[in-house]
Amino acid sequence: MKRMIVCVKPVPDPKAWDRLQMDPVSKTLIREGIPSIINPLDKHAVEAALEMKDLFGAEVVLLSMAPSDAHPVLREVLAMGADRAVLLSDKAFAGSDTLATSRILAQGIRNIGEFDLIFCGNFTLDGSTAQVPSQVAEFLDIPNVMHVCDMEIPNTQSLLLTQKIEQGTVKLEAKPPLLLSFTKDANKPRYISFMEILAAEKREIQTWDNANLNIDETLIGLKGSPTQMADLLLQSKQRKGIRLTGNPEEIARQLADKIHQLGII
Amino acid sequence: MKRQHVGVFIEQRGGVLHDVGLELLGKARELIEVSKGTVSAFVLGRDISAHSEDLIARGADTVLLADSSALEPYRLLPYTSVLAQACKTYDPDILLFGATRMGIELAPRLAARLNTGLSAHCMDLRLDTEGKLLQMVPGWGGGVVATIRCPLHRPQMATVMSGVMKKLVPTKRSGECIHLDVREDFQGSGPKVLEVHIEEPEEMPLEKADVVVAGGWGIGNPDGWTILQDLAALLCGAVGATRPPVDEGWVPESRMIGQSGKTVKPRLYMGIGISGMSHHVVGMDESECIVSVNTNPNAAIFEVSDVAVVGDYREILPPLLKEIRARLPEGRTDTCEPPQ
Amino acid sequence: MDFLLSEREELLRKSVREFAEAEIPPKIEAMEKTGEFPIELLEPMARLGITGIIAPPEYGGVGLGYLARTIALEELGRVCAAIPMAMQVHHMAIAALNDFGTDEQKQKYIPPLAKGETMGVVAVTEPSGGSDVVGMQATAELKGDKWILNGRKCFITNSHTSDFWIVMAKTAEGAKGLSAFIVEKNHPGAKTGRVEHKIGLRGSNTGELVFDNCEIPKENILGQEGGGLAVALKTVSESGRPGMAATALGIINACLEEAAKFASERVLYGKPISSLQAISFYLAEIYTELDICRLLCYRASWMKDQNMRCDNENAMAKSYTCDAAVRCALKAVEIHGSYGILQEYKVQRLLRDAVVTVPAGGTGQIGKVVLARAALAPYRKKK
Repeated sequence: MKRMIVCVKPVPDPKAWDRLQMDPVSKTLIREGIPSIINPLDKHAVEAALEMKDLFGAEVVLLSMAPSDAHPVLREVLAMGADRAVLLSDKAFAGSDTLATSRILAQGIRNIGEFDLIFCGNFTLDGSTAQVPSQVAEFLDIPNVMHVCDMEIPNTQSLLLTQKIEQGTVKLEAKPPLLLSFTKDANKPRYISFMEILAAEKREIQTWDNANLNIDETLIGLKGSPTQMADLLLQSKQRKGIRLTGNPEEIARQLADKIHQLGII
Repeated sequence: MKRQHVGVFIEQRGGVLHDVGLELLGKARELIEVSKGTVSAFVLGRDISAHSEDLIARGADTVLLADSSALEPYRLLPYTSVLAQACKTYDPDILLFGATRMGIELAPRLAARLNTGLSAHCMDLRLDTEGKLLQMVPGWGGGVVATIRCPLHRPQMATVMSGVMKKLVPTKRSGECIHLDVREDFQGSGPKVLEVHIEEPEEMPLEKADVVVAGGWGIGNPDGWTILQDLAALLCGAVGATRPPVDEGWVPESRMIGQSGKTVKPRLYMGIGISGMSHHVVGMDESECIVSVNTNPNAAIFEVSDVAVVGDYREILPPLLKEIRARLPEGRTDTCEPPQ
Repeated sequence: MDFLLSEREELLRKSVREFAEAEIPPKIEAMEKTGEFPIELLEPMARLGITGIIAPPEYGGVGLGYLARTIALEELGRVCAAIPMAMQVHHMAIAALNDFGTDEQKQKYIPPLAKGETMGVVAVTEPSGGSDVVGMQATAELKGDKWILNGRKCFITNSHTSDFWIVMAKTAEGAKGLSAFIVEKNHPGAKTGRVEHKIGLRGSNTGELVFDNCEIPKENILGQEGGGLAVALKTVSESGRPGMAATALGIINACLEEAAKFASERVLYGKPISSLQAISFYLAEIYTELDICRLLCYRASWMKDQNMRCDNENAMAKSYTCDAAVRCALKAVEIHGSYGILQEYKVQRLLRDAVVTVPAGGTGQIGKVVLARAALAPYRKKK
């Protein structure tokens, strides 16, 4: 077990989401001024990789596709104990959907070189599609397992994974190379120690653009995204307090409709 | 508009179909109406042909069955391969998956294999005038709704959470079954399944419940809690309370929601007979949807509710329970996930 | 003048905040009940680097400076001030050993403190007084190759959770008659005495140390014989006062957050009470006090990191910040109305904690004695 790669993503801090504004012309969200944090589930992925480092002395490399201002967030994740970070940043990547993003990440991984395991968080707070892990694995032609809530390493050739499903759990046996995405039950991410903060200041963050990755322009960014956004609506979080009227039966019917709309019935 | 072919992945584990596949069949029928197109159900597993009749009755024109011991239990890579092959042969314009644990893992892998677009947990699906799929997707914790299109790549793929779409009532319909040829044994294809462990659902802890039915001083007496418990059980939720009922001994303190109690963030919070003082509200104001029932039209809780009912819970809840029961699928007594 | 903190300092703050918010609240109920320090937190705090923050790396520490320490203590204090109270005395012991110890003493005693294996103690105060340092009654007499200590120390933080203590005693009369010693709890004649039950900072253990013909090896004198006053004053002034100030600073931060949050949610007359000027002005005052105290604390710590003399600045930070903590906590309690005096609400603990910071670690009055001296210095009549 020599090298672990962890895909991490800076996401806008949920505490600041109520400040989100939309550009009415481009129909994109204005992210400037909204502070970023590391996607919370990614910390569990980093922790899993650091456990491999503790056990086998593996190198832990962080990989992120993000704007160039991602450095402070990456520095923070480096301070958890990772060895170095690679930031994939290029204007040409902007507007990528999950397919294009996964293609870019996969190429970044190929450029980093050989690896044993790739770790991801199960989903991100902003898009929450949870699509990238399976798609990156597909592009790298390696198996992947999502919803991992437990990982045991009996030996370097075999992993025992527990996957969370609705009705319970599935136990799987898998071999590297492999991509795993973790749920928050998987482990408790370690706190950033002062010693690691000091050490992380010396750790490298390499930035690669498409000149380094050399991906066909038609396969990245907006051009490379099969899905396109046709419209974007901001929903107010202000509770409307809609008053239901009518006799009890009519009210009951309206309430049942609402409960159905929520997906509960 | 050309005739649309909509495919639906029918998820099953251990021979039991997940409701979401049936719900998506219902939606698929709606989508193909204008163009008088067809709906195909894609079913993978072992000994699954018994489901064909039900699938046709629920909206499938064609049931494509990949029946093989190599496909039981579910494994990501074998399922991806079989579905990819089936898509190449049967060429659906649209392919729908449930946004379940399985769907979330499988649909993206398939989309990448087919080099096509996929949108996640759509809250609605529509066709534009040319018959292309419009996918409504929430983001940013629900603060934003995006309309997504996949104009050029096929199939247009989407995942939808269980409960968003509606199953069709089974009707007498005709359809055909096609058995897909599955030659591979997929032995070396990815991780091995050692065990599938189904868990007994336990007493729902308040903080984990999807639905919380909470009662306050307005319930009036300990007997009033029975109907709250019935409602919570029906919706597979947990019962909560404010401080006064706890002090009166009508409920244990572990049920208390608020400043000095628990904080809950369920999908649905129903506050019954609760005035809405801030020390209770801070324990539940991040719930996705807040519905309140109170006899006082000026109750503070209405300020933080999405839906407000001015009325007596004793009059409102019994018909509500009846309405909900009427909407449950046959044989079901609550909305909890069926054990498999 | 650059008032901004560095990326390193911001990350440090974030790291302690995340730790404090997750690990300390579950311990608070027991701390309030028993007054005992949650000893199980020592190991995670050591791993984070809190216990050894100012200790040199060669002795197992992190080797960061006093501004970093102030930020760390402030963030701990924001969650529960008893924790930084205990930690800041712990750091005082490390500082005393580092400044005055022989190589052997540093090698032996700093690593267990830096690594959080035991807690640090600096015992100056006696029933005869704490402010009146020179008036202490505890004695130490050299008999052969042993020092014999007699006396008692009271109001000692970490008294019952430590394996060894730095103790001041009289070896002769007068200001040049004080000496500092390292006493291990196993040394014959060394005992812990009663445990005190404070109204605030509960969870920081406060108690008595008793020396009854206590025999300690000759080499356990810390610094010069007769140089004990310098040990006490330097340690209190450069580590103790800023540590107390940082603890109180965390309390003020918590006061602002609790009061502002409550005022935004509590509705009276149809609107949140934050719309009432009386309330919002209180919040403006707390907001200002927070910033004043932060500037005082950070500036004094920054000076220490530049090796500048900062006794006045530390005295100012300690006396002002602890008094301000009480003022802010009282306002925060008032903003909560009747809820403010209920035990279920956090804000009453902030008031009790703030009150206890006032006499602890050097009274505000002694601080003012120091400051008055500084103010009058240019006008002192030459003899």
